[in-house]
Amino acid sequence: MKLSGRGISRGVAGGEVLLCETPVSFLGGVIPATGALADASFNGASIKDRVFAFPRGKGSTVGSYVMLEMKRAGTLPAAIINASAEPIVATGAVLSGVPLVDGIDLSLLRPDDRCVVDGSKGTIELPDVKEVPVVSCFILHGDELLMLKRSDKVSTFQGHWAAVSGYIEEGETPDQTARKEIMEELSIRDPEFVRSIDPIRVRGGDTIWAIHPFLFRAKDRAVTIDWEHTEYRWALPAEMAGLKTVPGLESVYRSLLS
Amino acid sequence: MHLNRDEEAILAGEKGEGSRKAMELLVALGDIYGAERLVPISCAHLSGVSYKTIAEGGISLLEDMALDARVCVPTTLNPAGMDRERWKEMGISPRFADRQDHIIKCYERLGVTSDCSCTPYLGTNVPKRGQHIAWAESSALSFANSAVGAKTNREGGPGALAAAIIGRTPEYGLHIDANRAPGVVIEVEGDDIDYSMLGQAAGAVAGTRIPYFKGIRPTVDQLKTLAAAMAASGSVAMFHVEGITPEADAFSVAGLERVAIGRKELDRAREQVNTGTDPELIAFGCPHLSVDEIRQLASMLKGRSRQGDAEVWFCTSRHTLAQCPRESKELERFGKLVCDTCMVVTPIEERFKCTATNSGKACNYLATLCSQKVVFRDAKGLVEMIS
Repeated sequence: MKLSGRGISRGVAGGEVLLCETPVSFLGGVIPATGALADASFNGASIKDRVFAFPRGKGSTVGSYVMLEMKRAGTLPAAIINASAEPIVATGAVLSGVPLVDGIDLSLLRPDDRCVVDGSKGTIELPDVKEVPVVSCFILHGDELLMLKRSDKVSTFQGHWAAVSGYIEEGETPDQTARKEIMEELSIRDPEFVRSIDPIRVRGGDTIWAIHPFLFRAKDRAVTIDWEHTEYRWALPAEMAGLKTVPGLESVYRSLLS
Repeated sequence: MHLNRDEEAILAGEKGEGSRKAMELLVALGDIYGAERLVPISCAHLSGVSYKTIAEGGISLLEDMALDARVCVPTTLNPAGMDRERWKEMGISPRFADRQDHIIKCYERLGVTSDCSCTPYLGTNVPKRGQHIAWAESSALSFANSAVGAKTNREGGPGALAAAIIGRTPEYGLHIDANRAPGVVIEVEGDDIDYSMLGQAAGAVAGTRIPYFKGIRPTVDQLKTLAAAMAASGSVAMFHVEGITPEADAFSVAGLERVAIGRKELDRAREQVNTGTDPELIAFGCPHLSVDEIRQLASMLKGRSRQGDAEVWFCTSRHTLAQCPRESKELERFGKLVCDTCMVVTPIEERFKCTATNSGKACNYLATLCSQKVVFRDAKGLVEMIS
C-alpha cells in the first residue's frame, strides 16, 4: 500500500525499514565510517542502505555535514522517513542526495518492512502491507453510546466490546457501508447522521486498517442485534475505559469528537 | 511553495547541477518553514568555513558546487580554522592548513569574497535597512537584523550558500515584518553594564523570543557583543533596544512579560560561565575586534610590559587590521594579532585546556566546541592578566 506525506528531498529509493522512535542527531548519533547508530540500544545496527525512519532531526547544524561525510564513506541510508522534517537533516538529505519524505505516521511502520520512498512525489510504498478499509460507527442515544459484544462467529476480536463495524466492499462509499452495517447489525433504518472524519490508520500485522469513524444518533433505545454480537448495552463514553474493547476504540471515539 | 517559471527552470536543472541542488535545498527549507515564495536577497554571509567543522564531507560539497555554480550576490565568509599567513605559529598542522586553504579556494571559485570574518558588517559586507539578506553566523545575523534593520533568518551554512547561488531565500520568519515584533521586555538596571554578561543572562531569559531592551544605550561595539552573547546563550536572532535600534519604535510592548536584569543576574551569569582558573590561552576578539576596540586595547596597554607566559591572541579581520597598523604593532608586544580565524573555530583543544575570554559568546562555545575550561573577565581584566 501507499502512504502520502510530503516530499522534502527528491529521488526514489527503497530498502528495509530501520525504525528509531526518538529524534536523531547525525552528529554524535551516527558513526560516519560504518553508518552504525551510536545508541547502545541498537546493538550497532547500521543505517547504511536502510530506509531510516525517525520522528525528526535534532542537534548541531554540523549534522548536515556528517551526512556528506557518509556519502564519501558509502554509508548513507537509502532513504529517510520523518514524522516532521527539520532543517538539519533536510539539508543533509538534499545535499547528499537521499530521498526524504515527511508527514508519515511512523506507528504504521514496522522494523524490516520493505519500503520504497519517493521523495519527488512525497509518498512511501509498503509492498508487503495491504490496506483494509473499514467503518466504525458509534451510535448515540442521549448521553449514552451503544456498545456491542462481538460473538465467537466473527473472524476477529471475539468477545470484545466494539462499535458497529464492517469492511468497506469494493464499489461502496464509507457512508453506504456505515448505513448498511447499522441496518444489518441493529436493524436500525435511517439513523440520524451526526458526523464523520477522515480515516484513522492503525497497523496490525501485515495490515493497515483504514478506519472511517462515524457518529449517528438513534431515535430509541430498542435494538435488534444479529449473529455478529451476543449482547449490547448503552454506556456513558467514560465507561469504555473499563470494558474489554477492540484496540483503539476509545481513541477513535475521541478523534471523532475533537 | 510557489515557484515562478525561472525558478522552476532552475529546479529542473537548466542552469546546471549546482544551481539545481541549491534550488532543491531552498524549496525543502521553504516547505519546512511554510514559506509561500522566494524573495530576492541583496547579499549573503556564509558559515561552514573551518576545516575543523565541515571536514571532508563539507569539502566534497564545495567541490561539487564549484563545478558549475557561482554566487550571484555579494557574499562573505565566516572565520576559518587558522590564520592563513601565521598558521604555523598557531600550531596548525600542514595537513590541516592544506585542507583549510582548499576550502577557501573552493569558496573563491564560487565567487565568494575570502576575507574570513564574523563581523562583515564592519566593512566588507554592509547591508542596508529593509533589505532581505541570507546570513549564517548567529552573531552577525543578529547584528544585521537588530542594529541595521536588514532581514534574515538564522541560516545554516548550506542554506545561506544556496541562497547566494540563487540570489533568493524562502520568505518566512524574520523576512516578514510582523514576525519582528518583540516577545519579552528586558529592563536593565545599573550602570557600567558588561554587555557579554548581559547577553548571557538575556539570551537565557529570551530563548527564541525577540527581546526589547530598556535602560541601556549601547555603542556599536556593545551591540556586537550583546548580539553574539544572546545568539549563543539563547537562540536570539533579533533584538530591539529602546531609542537605539532602527525598528524599536515600530512595535508596542504593552502586555509583554517584563524581566529585570541587574547586578545580581549579571554576577550569577559570570559565576556560571567561569569554570577555570589558570588560562593557557588568553584571547580577545569574539566577535572579531573592531578598529575602535583595537585602539582602546592599544591605549590600555601603552607603557606596560608583558606579564605571564600564557599564549595571547587578538582576533580580528584582515580588513580591520589594515586600518590600524600602528596600534597592532603595540598589541604585538603582548601577543599575536590573529586574522581569518578565532579561538572557537581553530583546533585549540589540541594545545590548550583552559582559555580566558571577555566574550559571552566564546564562553558558551569554548566549553562545548573546544572542550575548554573558561575564565571570563572584561577587557580590563584580561589586560591585567597579560601586563
